[in-house]
Amino acid sequence: MVHDLKAASPQPLIRVENLTKVYFNGAGPIEVLREVNLVIHPGEMVAVMGPSGSGKSTLLYILGLLQAPTSGAYLWEGLDLLTLNRTHQAEFRRRRLGFVFQACDLLENSNVYENLEFPLIYEEVDKETRPQRILDALRKVNLAHRLYHSANLLSGGERQRVAVARALVNRPQLILADEPTGQLDRSHGHLVMEHFEEVAATENTAVVVVTHDPDIASRCNRVCPMEDGVLTGLR
Amino acid sequence: MFFDDLVRVSLRQVFRHRRRYLGVVLAIAVGVAGFISIITMGQDVKKNFNEDITFIGGVTIIRNVLESRPQLPPGKFREDTVQAIREIPGVAYASLVGLTRIKGNNQGQEDFFSVAAVDEHFWKMRGLTAHTGSLFGSQEVKERQRVVVLGKRLAQSLFGTEEVAGRTLELGQDVFRVIGVVGGLRDINLEKSLFVPLTTAQDRFFHQLVLDRFYVRCATWDDVPGVAAAIPKVVAAHQSAENLLVEVSTENLEHVKRVAFWVEFFIYLAFAATLILGGMGIWNIMMAAVRSRTREIGLKKAMGAEDRDILSQFLTEALCLSLLASVIGVTLGRILVELLGLWIGMRPPEELFFTCLAFSLVFAVALGVGAGLYPSVQAARMEVVSATRYE
Repeated sequence: MVHDLKAASPQPLIRVENLTKVYFNGAGPIEVLREVNLVIHPGEMVAVMGPSGSGKSTLLYILGLLQAPTSGAYLWEGLDLLTLNRTHQAEFRRRRLGFVFQACDLLENSNVYENLEFPLIYEEVDKETRPQRILDALRKVNLAHRLYHSANLLSGGERQRVAVARALVNRPQLILADEPTGQLDRSHGHLVMEHFEEVAATENTAVVVVTHDPDIASRCNRVCPMEDGVLTGLR
Repeated sequence: MFFDDLVRVSLRQVFRHRRRYLGVVLAIAVGVAGFISIITMGQDVKKNFNEDITFIGGVTIIRNVLESRPQLPPGKFREDTVQAIREIPGVAYASLVGLTRIKGNNQGQEDFFSVAAVDEHFWKMRGLTAHTGSLFGSQEVKERQRVVVLGKRLAQSLFGTEEVAGRTLELGQDVFRVIGVVGGLRDINLEKSLFVPLTTAQDRFFHQLVLDRFYVRCATWDDVPGVAAAIPKVVAAHQSAENLLVEVSTENLEHVKRVAFWVEFFIYLAFAATLILGGMGIWNIMMAAVRSRTREIGLKKAMGAEDRDILSQFLTEALCLSLLASVIGVTLGRILVELLGLWIGMRPPEELFFTCLAFSLVFAVALGVGAGLYPSVQAARMEVVSATRYE
């Protein structure tokens, strides 16, 4: 079953077909994802909800090219991403994708500027344009005034907003957020979602959010419930 | 990733984790300093040691004598023969020596003195220096001056002091001016002797003087066998070599070689220990860094860093560490060399220090790359998902 709310849109950004992921350990194979089909359009916000161990983070990692599926197809504007080698996948990640992790993963011992500079360093953006791009990204999350603050000294909410800004700095087409509000209080959680909504609306960036929180999920265009590795329906 | 970004990011990491790296940097720095002082001073110490032991054992000196035999007239070496000997490859000095006993007079007291008639090469051939005053050189020999150098014991017995320059001594029919006392003879008979220029002796004591020996000092002990083999041929080409005896201290030579080998062996053993310990230090600290920065590696990969970006960053950090340690080590080494130089009174050549400096930098690069490579490869190959989930 293909979840497609924007059937009218001529070209989906992502098309995932029959995606399966099986882990092998001593106890035998564990099927984490089973025949997952999903279509995401540019500017669309999709929430993947489900209990722990349902496979939603694995799906996110596969969409982010951080992990390879066991079988299935993953097409990006028609391009089969699974045929890319390790280097080209890294290149694809830095140009098209932005990640926000649950644990507010910032580089410790680095300030906000340095955290946001890394994606630009890997993309070999010239040094003159970096400060402006970093400032633009920070303005989107209302943290321009924290430019040279140490990441260690930021509050949990600020850290997560810096993580969002870092995901935005390379102007990605898809943001993948793994429980981005999991460690935040309600107000900060909704603030982060507001930033996602703004980016989706203004930049036409698609956002996939893995969450447990129905409130957070309700702010997305689509909610894809997941259970035992299967997308069970949509709300 | 631009090169300057790579260097900047790596230096920043090293600086921010300086407390973690301090121990290994200091360990390598001390190793490099030790290496520089061992090699710089060690070469000098070894050279002096070898020279000293060579002189003590006389292992590079070849004694050549025309033996007196009843059926043969007394032999005599000619100056042109000795000159030809000096041309043999491996010969550092060759000195013609004549020995005799001459009746002398000092302040009314008559006595017989052992006289060694020597040329200007004698002092260097035996490694002798002036204890007080001066020794005669080529000018005094060439001008056949009536000057005399005394052994220490003779100076004491004649004048009650070793400050004898300027005094006079009557030898045969002539008055000689004492110009100094020779030090470092290591031979009690020679310390009771006096030394006059060979040419002067030939003029003044012609009838008593027997020029039946010359001494050759080889440049190194490796030259000794070749020179010893060449001497009879060269002598035969210039004069009769029928009763020539060439004496080499073969046993002493082997003993000295063995001692020198062990000195050299321990110098290089110390250097190898520096290399191994420094390398293990970097290896260990970089492995620890990779482990403790696993989440950082995963995060950077998620941001789009390629394997080679991670590899080059960790490798550059290892290089920065080893180069930094090397620079500190070279500075410490220089200070050590200066202090040791003051302490033991040696001045090693500057070129040797700069050779060590260049070698240390090359060594630092090799160490950084060698020891940092495996941890860097481990970091580069890390799987993103497990890295980002690492606690």
